[in-house]
Amino acid sequence: MAATTATAPAKATSGTAGPRRPYRIRQRLAGWLFATPFTLLFLLFMAVPVVASLVMSVTDLRSTDLRTPFAVEFVGVDNYTRLLDDAQFRRAALNTAIFVVVGVPLTMAVGLAAASALNSALVRFRTLFRVGFYLPVVTSIVALAVVWRFLLDPEAGLVNNALRLVGVDGPNWLGDADLALPSIIVMAVWRNFGFLMVIFLAGLQAIPADLYESSTLDGAGRWAQFRHITVPLLRPTLLFGGVVTSIGYLQLFEEPLVMTRGGPLDSTLSVSYHIYNQFGFGNYGYAAAVSYVLFAVIVGLSILQFRLLGSRD
Amino acid sequence: MRRRDLVARVGLYVVLGAGLLVVVGPFLWAVLSSVKPEAEIRRIPATWWPEVFTLDNYRELLSRLDFPQAFANSAIVAVLTTLGNLAFCSLLGYALAKLRFPGKRALFLVVLGTLMVPSMVTFVPQFVMVSNLGLVNSYGGLILPFLATPFGVFLMRQYLLSVPDELIEAARVDGAGELRIFARVVLPLCGPALATLTILTFLASWNNFLWPLVVATTEDRYTLPVALALYSVGQNRIDYGLVLAGAVAVLLPVVIVFVLLQRHFLRGIATTGLK
Amino acid sequence: MTTHRRLGTAAMLVAALVLGACGRDSGGGGDAAQPVAEGKATGEITVWAMGTEGEKLGAFAQEFMAENPDAKVNVTAVPWDAAHQKIASAIAGKQTPDVSMLGTTWMGEFAKTGALDPTPEGTVARGDFFPGAWDTTVVDGTSYGVPWYVETRLIYYRKDLAAKAGVSAPTTWDELKSFATAMRDKGGTKWGMNLQPGGTGSWQSFMPFAWSNGAGLADGDAFTLDSPQMTEALAYYQSFFTEKLSPPTDLSLQGALEQSFINGSLAAFISGPWHVSLLTDQGGAAFKEKFAVTAMPRKQSATSFVGGSDLAVFKDAKNRDGAWKFVSWLSRPEVQIKWYQTVSDLPAVQGAWSDPTLSGDPILATFGEQLKDAKSPPAIPTWEQVAAVIDGEVEKVAKSGTDPAAAAKAMQQRASGIGTGA
Repeated sequence: MAATTATAPAKATSGTAGPRRPYRIRQRLAGWLFATPFTLLFLLFMAVPVVASLVMSVTDLRSTDLRTPFAVEFVGVDNYTRLLDDAQFRRAALNTAIFVVVGVPLTMAVGLAAASALNSALVRFRTLFRVGFYLPVVTSIVALAVVWRFLLDPEAGLVNNALRLVGVDGPNWLGDADLALPSIIVMAVWRNFGFLMVIFLAGLQAIPADLYESSTLDGAGRWAQFRHITVPLLRPTLLFGGVVTSIGYLQLFEEPLVMTRGGPLDSTLSVSYHIYNQFGFGNYGYAAAVSYVLFAVIVGLSILQFRLLGSRD
Repeated sequence: MRRRDLVARVGLYVVLGAGLLVVVGPFLWAVLSSVKPEAEIRRIPATWWPEVFTLDNYRELLSRLDFPQAFANSAIVAVLTTLGNLAFCSLLGYALAKLRFPGKRALFLVVLGTLMVPSMVTFVPQFVMVSNLGLVNSYGGLILPFLATPFGVFLMRQYLLSVPDELIEAARVDGAGELRIFARVVLPLCGPALATLTILTFLASWNNFLWPLVVATTEDRYTLPVALALYSVGQNRIDYGLVLAGAVAVLLPVVIVFVLLQRHFLRGIATTGLK
Repeated sequence: MTTHRRLGTAAMLVAALVLGACGRDSGGGGDAAQPVAEGKATGEITVWAMGTEGEKLGAFAQEFMAENPDAKVNVTAVPWDAAHQKIASAIAGKQTPDVSMLGTTWMGEFAKTGALDPTPEGTVARGDFFPGAWDTTVVDGTSYGVPWYVETRLIYYRKDLAAKAGVSAPTTWDELKSFATAMRDKGGTKWGMNLQPGGTGSWQSFMPFAWSNGAGLADGDAFTLDSPQMTEALAYYQSFFTEKLSPPTDLSLQGALEQSFINGSLAAFISGPWHVSLLTDQGGAAFKEKFAVTAMPRKQSATSFVGGSDLAVFKDAKNRDGAWKFVSWLSRPEVQIKWYQTVSDLPAVQGAWSDPTLSGDPILATFGEQLKDAKSPPAIPTWEQVAAVIDGEVEKVAKSGTDPAAAAKAMQQRASGIGTGA
């Protein structure tokens, strides 16, 4: 995100290059005036807490110090180096990496497929499908969890009942250490693809229809059109979707919390879940350090993805 | 050609319909199960259509919790949070996209950076801040920390970058003041982005659980999700009937807002950030 | 402009944080308890209580207000979900109520913050309570609260299926094993006994076996998890999984425990008193005839786990004396019985158990009997984290066949790394 927006000011101001003097002063005043209400609230409720939590990450603050937070020891980067010896953190980092690497492309593929299908001139009732597919995005996870437990029940869940119809004995999806993370990935795809579908749909609608018409005249099939027209023209949109989804997926937390509690055998423990646990255990300093490591990864990945986007444009 | 189209159309409907079933099916089950008795909800194998139809779950929710109060609290908090975000984020978003002033770039990078900070880490410092300001158990404490969200600024700025400068320049040449330009020229162009911000902010506020739970110290300040959690989730037992009925009660207003705004919304969210 | 000034304020705040960070004094523990004034309670008393307790306590306190006409009890019901976070935040923001209900395993952590008021002499008599329950309030030798209600774990089993299998309630470790085997092989169940195979809270299911085998958690400031008794208990626990007597997935996490027990695929499980109503709610009233409870099986002892909730008064309480008087009132045997009748919470006061309401019910009487031999984990601030370590190692033993001795060693090593927070 940082990089798109970093290139943007140049574009934004190009139209107003060399404004006359009174305008410039007036713009300054207006700029500050417009920024003030947000900035005040932002500093009070976001910036100061962020700085405080950064300081927290270099102390040994524990929940037992909450009443006297100034009386803690300054431990420098100890919390950060401790991370490397934390086997659970390494497991959580691996799980999160797998989740992002598999989950992001999968969510994008499903979102793109749904968007392409709905963009087709053949389909009616688009609003019904759009609202339907978007429903999981707007529903609270707690309610979804109740439903999903019943879907995935090894004995009598709908999924295994359906499998039984075709003669397959379904596994214990959430109880098997090898299947729990894939199940969580599927659930996340199910829950989030509607968001990407909406973004991709708009991108698709911006592609001129005559490009398809002329290629049809050249005898290109639908798949060839998709590969040679849709995907290249949609690249900026795809990358934007990738970044937004990556930021969200790197902070995977709710699905394992309500479905598996990070188990079995830590197979669905994510970095955010680990942070949550550490806060729960009262290790505030350490939990803050893990949070900022995650933050650094999010920033890094965002910059990387937008560098890619920038170079293609 | 025509036959191929027909085959393709039928194929598409089958795939989309199956997809819709997979996505909406669980919701249908949740809604249907909210009118079943607890034992039937938990029965293995599960039933689809209620064998015993009962409104007991809803009746119990209504009788045990102060539903009107919790609903009103949620609505007040969500509406004011949304209005505040619309105002503050569009003002700053406009300034960042279209005005030149010193400190602009730094401000933007700081705001953007905060967007990527995991929210868990700032929770306790934020609460201490609210507590020091004397805002615990007040609507101020529930609303103010969410009035200035980095996401909203980012969204508005990205959208406004795509608005042509010429329109604004023309108004300036006509001698309009900046505030007037913002109100009369810029805001009317922001419909889709404002609709997007409305639904996303409203949703986030409406579903928020942890913050109102901690900030509200008496039950008359509890929002709907907090009040619902009080009765459905115990120390050693979860009442699925109440969970599902509560979820339907929470979801309903959201779906209404969503359906009303979805035309604007779906356009808005897709435009933002692509330019 | 404002921006800069605010940034300046922020910078000063940070500086204060950094410069102020210069080591802590011992904090918490060893406080001297101040006496409570004589006479009736007066003024407003604010109380936080979780879930059903919070819902019913307000009306229940009417009687206290009748006895103390100048006092007013204001109860806020707090959802169990995230109650710990709420109290921790309240301590950080100095926004605590006068009294709060606290989970027994949170006492070490919250007492250590220095936010809890030591129990004054004369408010309650320690000997009135079940010893295991009283121990949960004691941090570094000082009591910081009063047990409110208790729960302990028993074995629930299917009476009808036991009769079919020709076995009676197990009383020893060996009997439990043969009981579970008979239930599976002759009673027609899929699983003979459910032991929690890891996951959050499985220490509550495992520790009774360790305690009954003479193993302990800690001695003073040192953990004692790596003992032969612990290894033996882990091996016994593991045998239920290797012999396919206990299901390898956590039935309770998927909400399937009760249904499996009711439909007869599961013969027995370990749980607390709340399961009586869960089972009759879901299985119908007639199901009550089909199951029974029995005490934990004996090895060296027949020890179970005691949990529940304590009541604590905060140091920042605006009405400390009124708060302690309310707590003291809630600890009276007759009030404890009435409270049981209101919300089914088992009395923490031993004297209440002679009442026929409790002693006349065979299931409740079994719980009362077990409470006499029930332990709680040490009240240390790091307990939740140590508990998670035990949960994790129990899971490895149950699911991946980890050698019990290695698991005990890993428990000890990881717990020592965490420390007792002293």
